[in-house]
Amino acid sequence: MDASNGHENLEKTAANGGEMADEDIIICRDVHKWFGSFHALKGVTTSVREGEVVVILGPSGSGKSTFIRTLNRLEEHQRGDIIVDGIELTKDIRNIESIRSEIGMVFQSFNLFPHLKVIDNITLAPMKVRKWPRARAEEDAMTLLERVGIPEQADKYPSQLSGGQQQRVAIARELAMQPKIMLFDEPTSALDPEMIKEVLDVMGELAESGMTMLVVTHEVGFAREAADRFLFFDHGEIVEENTPKEFLTNPKEERSKLFLSQIL
Amino acid sequence: MATRDVPAKTAEVPPPMMTVGVMGWARENLFSAWYNGALTIVLGVVTLLALWFGFAWIFGPADWEVIAKIGGRFVIGQYNTEAACIGQDCFWRPLAGLMLVTMLLGMAWGVAGGGFTKRVAITVTAVAALAAFIPYSFDVMGLDVRLLLLANIPALFVGLALARYTRLGTMKWIAIMSVGVFLLTLLLLRGLPWVPGLQPVSVIYWGGLMLNLLLAVAGIALSLPIGIALALGRRSRLPVVKMLCVVFIEVFRGVPLITLLFMSQVLVPLAFPENFPQNSLFRAAIIITLFSSAYMAENIRGGLQALHPGQEEAARSLGLSGWQTTAFISLPQAVRNVIPAIVGQFIALFKDTSLVYIIGMLDIVEMGRAFIQGNPQYLDNAQELFIFLALVFWVFTYGMSYVSSKIEGNLGVGSR
Repeated sequence: MDASNGHENLEKTAANGGEMADEDIIICRDVHKWFGSFHALKGVTTSVREGEVVVILGPSGSGKSTFIRTLNRLEEHQRGDIIVDGIELTKDIRNIESIRSEIGMVFQSFNLFPHLKVIDNITLAPMKVRKWPRARAEEDAMTLLERVGIPEQADKYPSQLSGGQQQRVAIARELAMQPKIMLFDEPTSALDPEMIKEVLDVMGELAESGMTMLVVTHEVGFAREAADRFLFFDHGEIVEENTPKEFLTNPKEERSKLFLSQIL
Repeated sequence: MATRDVPAKTAEVPPPMMTVGVMGWARENLFSAWYNGALTIVLGVVTLLALWFGFAWIFGPADWEVIAKIGGRFVIGQYNTEAACIGQDCFWRPLAGLMLVTMLLGMAWGVAGGGFTKRVAITVTAVAALAAFIPYSFDVMGLDVRLLLLANIPALFVGLALARYTRLGTMKWIAIMSVGVFLLTLLLLRGLPWVPGLQPVSVIYWGGLMLNLLLAVAGIALSLPIGIALALGRRSRLPVVKMLCVVFIEVFRGVPLITLLFMSQVLVPLAFPENFPQNSLFRAAIIITLFSSAYMAENIRGGLQALHPGQEEAARSLGLSGWQTTAFISLPQAVRNVIPAIVGQFIALFKDTSLVYIIGMLDIVEMGRAFIQGNPQYLDNAQELFIFLALVFWVFTYGMSYVSSKIEGNLGVGSR
């Protein structure tokens, strides 16, 4: 089983949905990535339509985080093509920066800026990259904080917030750049159980609003509710690409079955 | 049954008493084991003996006349001597510089609105003003000098008013005016040939604490930005930039400061024409600044390396450019994480300014040493002299420690 199988599935999905390929906002063709001699991505081919929510599952070390990090070039792929919103990711720095400002990324460890207040965490990029005046950026930031449910924390520092609140600030910080795509790299793995729901609720609401999302997660409940499609990664390749319902009830691949038996 | 009555909320219980009285504290901390008890007794006896003989000497045979004899020369060296300031009185120029400084402190007080900035401003002004009442005769310390010292009080309040009632009351303006005041003070001290009353005074006569402070201020203000540039350069991906920074840092760190100062005096002139204007003070300031920058670069680099890589990734994924990431995310965090090391370097720099004696400049230490050599009747009073000098250095370095700990507190370093 290799990437060609995944590609077939994708075409099927696209045909079923009656969508045209030119609405694909992310296109990956035969993407390879090595860390030293370790082959982390072995020819990943897939595409994501605008407004689609794709959940990426897989055992640790399967390349799922590496894959979404190549999409905004936090990792460089070494072979194959990645085209995001019509722009091919190459070594051209200006391309990379304009792509990065179109893609939001939420990290497992939040990565809020500890020396800046919550509000300044959110306004920094709009003011410096988009050149918005402070008043506009702050107004926008407050709207976003209300959307994630913590407007009263605006003047605190990240360390004064709980993990769940920090992750919601991180989501608001990315949304402030008005991205077309949001990447989530295990956004709830570092959270205490009672805080996971508040973050997943925000993500679910975001999915309903029509945002294109790629989510690496182990939260099967959330994935079943929100996802349009599952990608199952193992050993650096897409093993199975399927609808949530089909994948969870009737997986096609042996490796998928083994994985599901371990996490469910 | 009574056991079923579970209270709605667990009763608040105060923490157990921690204080157990003087005896209890001593037993726990000083005499917890036989070797601890022995150490306590030995150290106690040694401390008591040192204090006993120390105080007995200070208030007994010690003769502090040498300090009074040197007097103002501790502060400005030979600046106001006949040789330096021919046919004029130049004492007012350093005093005017001091007034500009107290005015700046007043502005800082106005902007900060109180706290430690206010305490520092008032302390400096009070010390300057109290110096007006030093019990010298009016022949030694004239009324004009005393009035100029007292004028620091109105200068402080002028600064405070400027900050409160004009547009100058921002950090940006204080930074700009600090540079202006420093350059203006240099100009005042140096003098201008075509301005009557501002007769030029050669830098070889600048001395005393004034010289230490000028070198330290220039070094502190410049070594931090140069150090930051070197640290960034050393982490650069461009091999030539990286190599130049590594070579600079390793050369300036690897050679003793005293050697560098000496080389700047004997080697640099070889590279210039014979009649080229030579300014030993300028050269010393450059050497001290570059020497300190090399250490500063490594402090900053340590701070940069301690940052979590996720910080940079988050900034880059937001679309910030490399320079924006460095300026707004990496550097602010790196610098505040290494404030203790930076201040340590500043303190070392201040103490190192004394080494300019090697190129014949009379800083506060050399001024005192030269005085007792030139006046052998005071040779026996070297102890008093050096205790006094140690105290002066300690007061300034402790002031730097105090300010840095307050800045750390304000930035919330260590707590977030």
